Amino acid sequence: MSIRRHPVSALLAFAVLAFLWLPLLAVVVNSFNRDTLMAGWGGATGHWYNLAANDHDVREGLKTTLIIAFASALVSLAVGISGALWWRRAPRRAQAVYDGLVYARIIVPEVVFATALFFLFVHFKFRLGLPAIIIGHSVWNSAYATLIIQARMVGLDPSVEEAAADLGATPWRVFRRVTLHSLMPAIIAAGLLAFTFSFDDVVTSYFLQGTAQSPLPIVLFGLIRFRLTPEVNAIGVLVMLLTVGLMSLAVTMFATAGRLGRSEKRAGFLDMYRR
Amino acid sequence: MTVLLQDVRKQFGELVAVQRLNLEIAHGEFFSIIGPSGCGKTTTLRMIAGFEEPTSGTISVSGRDVTNVRPYRRPVNTVFQSYALFQHLDVYENVAFGLREARRPAAEIRERVEAAIGLVQLGGREKARPRQLSGGQQQRVALARAVVNRPEVLLLDEPLGALDLKLRGDMQTELKDLQRVLGITFCYVTHDQSEAFSMSDRVAVMNGGLLEQVGAPEEVYRRPRSAFVADFVGAANQLGATVAARQGDGRYRVAIAGCGERSLAGPEDLAERDDVIVVVRPEDLRVAPAGGAGIQATVVDIAFLGAQRTVRLDAPGIGPLMATTRSTGDAVERGAGVTVDWADEDAWAVPRTPSAAPAA
Repeated sequence: MSIRRHPVSALLAFAVLAFLWLPLLAVVVNSFNRDTLMAGWGGATGHWYNLAANDHDVREGLKTTLIIAFASALVSLAVGISGALWWRRAPRRAQAVYDGLVYARIIVPEVVFATALFFLFVHFKFRLGLPAIIIGHSVWNSAYATLIIQARMVGLDPSVEEAAADLGATPWRVFRRVTLHSLMPAIIAAGLLAFTFSFDDVVTSYFLQGTAQSPLPIVLFGLIRFRLTPEVNAIGVLVMLLTVGLMSLAVTMFATAGRLGRSEKRAGFLDMYRR
Repeated sequence: MTVLLQDVRKQFGELVAVQRLNLEIAHGEFFSIIGPSGCGKTTTLRMIAGFEEPTSGTISVSGRDVTNVRPYRRPVNTVFQSYALFQHLDVYENVAFGLREARRPAAEIRERVEAAIGLVQLGGREKARPRQLSGGQQQRVALARAVVNRPEVLLLDEPLGALDLKLRGDMQTELKDLQRVLGITFCYVTHDQSEAFSMSDRVAVMNGGLLEQVGAPEEVYRRPRSAFVADFVGAANQLGATVAARQGDGRYRVAIAGCGERSLAGPEDLAERDDVIVVVRPEDLRVAPAGGAGIQATVVDIAFLGAQRTVRLDAPGIGPLMATTRSTGDAVERGAGVTVDWADEDAWAVPRTPSAAPAA
């Protein structure tokens, strides 16, 4: 008995993949292209990377982006951890309401939140700029952080924390010495995810930046419109490497966080955090 | 009294876990609470540990009222059914946890932790993570982690439940020895009556959130206070009967349905014409060839159990009976007619009402 091969489907699938990945490949190739107009291959050069690395706008943009991403990740973790701690012992109905609010932050289009926050900040005369952007990013980043940390929290054995309390640890010490350790893979994953999401955000940042320094994605957007050279490609490649690296780290951590006690073999350096 | 529970009640919403409990546990005693699942025994233990607050009533430990004291301020430690070891700490740090929280000097911590690890025979495994240990070894770590703090009371919640039968037997012996060496009051919760009997000085039987009986294992086994206790602590033949006459000294003449009048012992408070259940343990039933005095029965089945044989019988007008006999000697045949009898002192009467204590 032979199984049908569906050659047309395969072709279509490859076409779609090519359509998705070829532009990225073009970006990588062009980032080394000596031809300023990228009209053809003008020979290889590292010039654009050098230019990108020394471009004032790019450097300031990157700095701003990193500050925003870092701060937003921290805020999201604080919201996610404290929320999950409360959620674990909350009445069922309160849990449902909380869950609804978390999902709403993920489902409601970003542009709606950005607009709403814009009007809110303007109304209360809160200056637009870095803090506003950080708050804006934290709105949806904290929702993701909450989901990831909650997922881990559900799998925790409450008797381990009871044991710590039984051995004389105050609630704060129980949290420090036991709960936090058990949550660590989820916390790392959530932090990296929040960082990455914040890193490449355009919409919220654009709405809330005011007159402050633009973060990198918006700087990049400006370059494409006004100063298109292979430098844009070089920046793109660097951003790509950074985010892909962070994302794969986050995914690995989350997979670990969710694996709870399965396969002993892949323990590795996270061994100490797994139960 | 090391532990004193007075009129303790615990409700989870509508569910009454413990109805009303009065309990005294003496200093240095190995005390067990047994009962079927849902009887309130674990809730009772958790209230002594401080993980649950009683709805009403008071709990005191060593004369101090701890009813509203948080777990980390109580002079008790717990060994959990799931061990609840800290996976991110090695054996040494697991055991040292309580002493570090109490901020004991480093030298004292080292000395006491090493002693505790030696006590449970885990010397050399200090650097191992809990996951690298077998179930029995993890159990020992949990034990060392608790006793190293020298608690006034050690609470044990089905600590051997996850171990296989052979290991469980060994651990029972070790626990008993450990308790004798340390002189700590043990409060042990289990659903396994034989486990409780083999180790305990006294046993409390709980059912439906109420205490059915407290006493030495032999007393609970030989002189159960209710049909429930009689049945829970071991196989029991239960015969419906009525008190015909009080003979004084806790002895009664009892009319057993399908068997006639017999003299036997029972609790002090039985009155004439009370409905009772006569309890005879299978090992006290004598099986003899048909025709003698006693209950006439037919052998339904015989099971060989090594040292003993279990004989299932059917007595017309009474119902199924069970007898255990030594496996050596003459075997009765399946289907044979036999006479079943017992010595007067081996029978015991309990009130027919399921439980003496009133609800709430």
